[in-house]
Amino acid sequence: MKTVTIDLKKCVGCRNCEMACAFARTGQDCVRDNSNIRVNVYAEDRFVMPMTCFHCEEAWCMGVCPAHAISRNPRTGAVEIDPVRCAGCKMCMLACPYGNIHFDHEKLVSRKCDLCGGDPECVKHCIGGALNYEDAQEANDRKQRLTGQKLSGIMKQL
Amino acid sequence: MSGTSIVKTLCRMCDDHCGIDCHVEEGKVVKIEGNQEHVWNRGRLCIKGSHGTDMIYAPDRIRKPLKKTENGFVEIPLKQALDEIAEKIRNIQTEYGPQAVGVWKGEAVGFAQEEELARRWIHAIGSPNYFSNDSACFAGRWIGYSLVYGRWNAQPDFENSRCIIIWGANPPHAHPNMTQQINRAREKGASLIVIDPRFSAIARQADLYVKVKPGSDGALAWGLMRELIERGWTDQEFIQNFTVGFGQVKEYARKFTYEYVARETGCDAASVIPELARKIKASMPHTVIYVGNGLEHHENGINNIRACAYLDGLIGAVDQKGANYSPVGFPMKELVLYKEKPLLDLGPIGRDRFPILYRYRQECHTMTLMDQILSGKPYPFKALVLTGANPAMTNPNSFKVRKALGALDLLVVHELFMSETAELADYILPAASYLERSEMHVHGGTQTVTLTRRVLTPQPEVTDEYTMFHELAVRLGAGDYFPWKDEDELNAWLVSDSGISIETLKAHPSGYHYAPVEYEKHKRKKAAGEKPFNTASGMFEFTSAILKEHGYQELAEYISPRSNEVRPDRPYTLVTGARKVMYYHGRNHNLPALASALPEAEIEMHPADAARIGVESGSMVKVTSDIGSVVVPVKVMEGDEIGEGVLQMTHGWKSHNVNQITHDNVFDPISGFPLMKAVQVSVEPY
Repeated sequence: MKTVTIDLKKCVGCRNCEMACAFARTGQDCVRDNSNIRVNVYAEDRFVMPMTCFHCEEAWCMGVCPAHAISRNPRTGAVEIDPVRCAGCKMCMLACPYGNIHFDHEKLVSRKCDLCGGDPECVKHCIGGALNYEDAQEANDRKQRLTGQKLSGIMKQL
Repeated sequence: MSGTSIVKTLCRMCDDHCGIDCHVEEGKVVKIEGNQEHVWNRGRLCIKGSHGTDMIYAPDRIRKPLKKTENGFVEIPLKQALDEIAEKIRNIQTEYGPQAVGVWKGEAVGFAQEEELARRWIHAIGSPNYFSNDSACFAGRWIGYSLVYGRWNAQPDFENSRCIIIWGANPPHAHPNMTQQINRAREKGASLIVIDPRFSAIARQADLYVKVKPGSDGALAWGLMRELIERGWTDQEFIQNFTVGFGQVKEYARKFTYEYVARETGCDAASVIPELARKIKASMPHTVIYVGNGLEHHENGINNIRACAYLDGLIGAVDQKGANYSPVGFPMKELVLYKEKPLLDLGPIGRDRFPILYRYRQECHTMTLMDQILSGKPYPFKALVLTGANPAMTNPNSFKVRKALGALDLLVVHELFMSETAELADYILPAASYLERSEMHVHGGTQTVTLTRRVLTPQPEVTDEYTMFHELAVRLGAGDYFPWKDEDELNAWLVSDSGISIETLKAHPSGYHYAPVEYEKHKRKKAAGEKPFNTASGMFEFTSAILKEHGYQELAEYISPRSNEVRPDRPYTLVTGARKVMYYHGRNHNLPALASALPEAEIEMHPADAARIGVESGSMVKVTSDIGSVVVPVKVMEGDEIGEGVLQMTHGWKSHNVNQITHDNVFDPISGFPLMKAVQVSVEPY
């Protein structure tokens, strides 16, 4: 199953992903608070961290939801919240170890990434190439390949 | 989805021309996505790019010609507007001379033939007065690099680089998809160095970030030259065979000791310079030094840029793989009339004052224009036709600009929206958007040419530049210069000598590669007995005979910026014009979705300065320069995102227009660029 992978060494904190997510959700604005993906910039530490739902295989949010509002989309693999069933109890927010579930203060329900039905806007707007929509294994293979390439370059120079 | 077709063309929400897929349903563009096949952006778009439809279908778009009357603007038919404008231009030229009229191209509409058509039109009707935004952005780097090695490539070969130095630029906000190119090189092992007064978005991924005082870049470049020369980390073969003036560089560089560079730039030169030099040594010649707009708006801007260009020559990173590659141009026919009708005897405005600007860019000087309109000296200037330009917002000293434009007998603005400049116009002609026209775009860095598609049919009274200039030229007796029926005929003519047909271009909507990449063309040229570089001497020029001839220093000497001497009454240094990704200069502020992401102007401030002034984020401050004042909310930055004593404010905000306080009276003496990025100001709570 594909998911949104994050390469921390490529994120510049431009926030195009946040703006695109907010717009995909609201259809009218690009306000950060309305986005399900969040880029956290730690200026002092020279560190940038985009955060969005990992769609965990064992999703604690899903297990804890008393309203059974959270389920896995069989087609995309996304862990999704049904806003009709959601009671707004925020248990899922507490259960998520990463803070990747947000609260919609207008509709009074929890909200999170649903992978835009399998065509995530954040990835299409990631101008640094830090976000990719791919199988986690693919991301790993890519990392291995690049490490090998780098090493082979160094070996050649020796 | 049935009923949806995808039309591939290029984005024009900024000047990068990313490839886009327009999803069209029942004659309407319903969605814009990145084109996966396009070599520049590979399917990705910034938030502006995907919001092109917001602009195209904006309710406040101007769709009918407007004429200013005592009762405000009224709609009139296009034919009447063109007849009246032509009549007024004719009368003004008869009374005051042909040179009393000018044209000005901006950045809002096309970006391809717009410029050459404007140049052609104004010369065709007998005036040499062509103006553009370029004389306050872009032309400085063009001139700086052209003086040294005959051309400038705004799109370096990032992908193949082993060390990328981003100097006074912030690609994630200014040229978004350059970021992925830089990142792909880093993924392959390239190091990234960022030199900037601000800890910008691109700095967040830098291996080495160097904070410098605004306008002091030349000192760091010279310090680096000294280090490279002393350590012998230079390309002697290139220097000996392809350069002039190296002896003077070697001699002049001596004074740039670590102590001197540290004092000038504020950086820890004793550690920074050796580290920079080591990174360059490890990567040369596959080293990109990419100089941004940040170096242009200074009193010593051109020579600071030239000093950066010198570094390319010292390390042989000239027209090299993974360096500042010099693209081969596409053999498109020229529209300009500088050979047939140079009109130099009519006195292009600013040519006497800034001859190098005119010599290299054939640009008149916009700041001089404002003075000339108001004084009538040395000759009266009465009418201006602007296309997609908004100088009332983007030129320095906005109050004077508004006064000058308001004093004209005729101001015509070709626009999509009621800009601050359009408000001053006598006539506003509605302009076609980028999806309502078809133009020839050349992507220099990738050596591709693309014919953009007219995805949407413009409404009858909405015109592209060709139609507007053609119609006015015909009415003014210069129709012979505009013989083509429309843009499509013009496009066919433009490629008629290139050996590439319009049909071929149509078959390559993601760009046609017109020439293979060839590095180090200077070697081949030298062997063939040709001039290796397009300079006066034919060599890479450390020393410029042309500058000497015009009375300037031939070497790119460093002059300390005036802001390095703190003035007690103006203790802060204001940088202006850092880009914000959802806006494009003064554009998009009227598009609600994009504007929601950053709804209000802000002045960026160091926490220590905020504490000293007694303000916090959101507090209003009054910022005053020798030109004027502006009131703006504060944004206190984190840590050292900006230097202490340095402020930054982005242009383009109607309610908080920073150009009310930028200089139109202090210039780089070579390019005539105004001082906009080291403005001495005072700040007080408001």
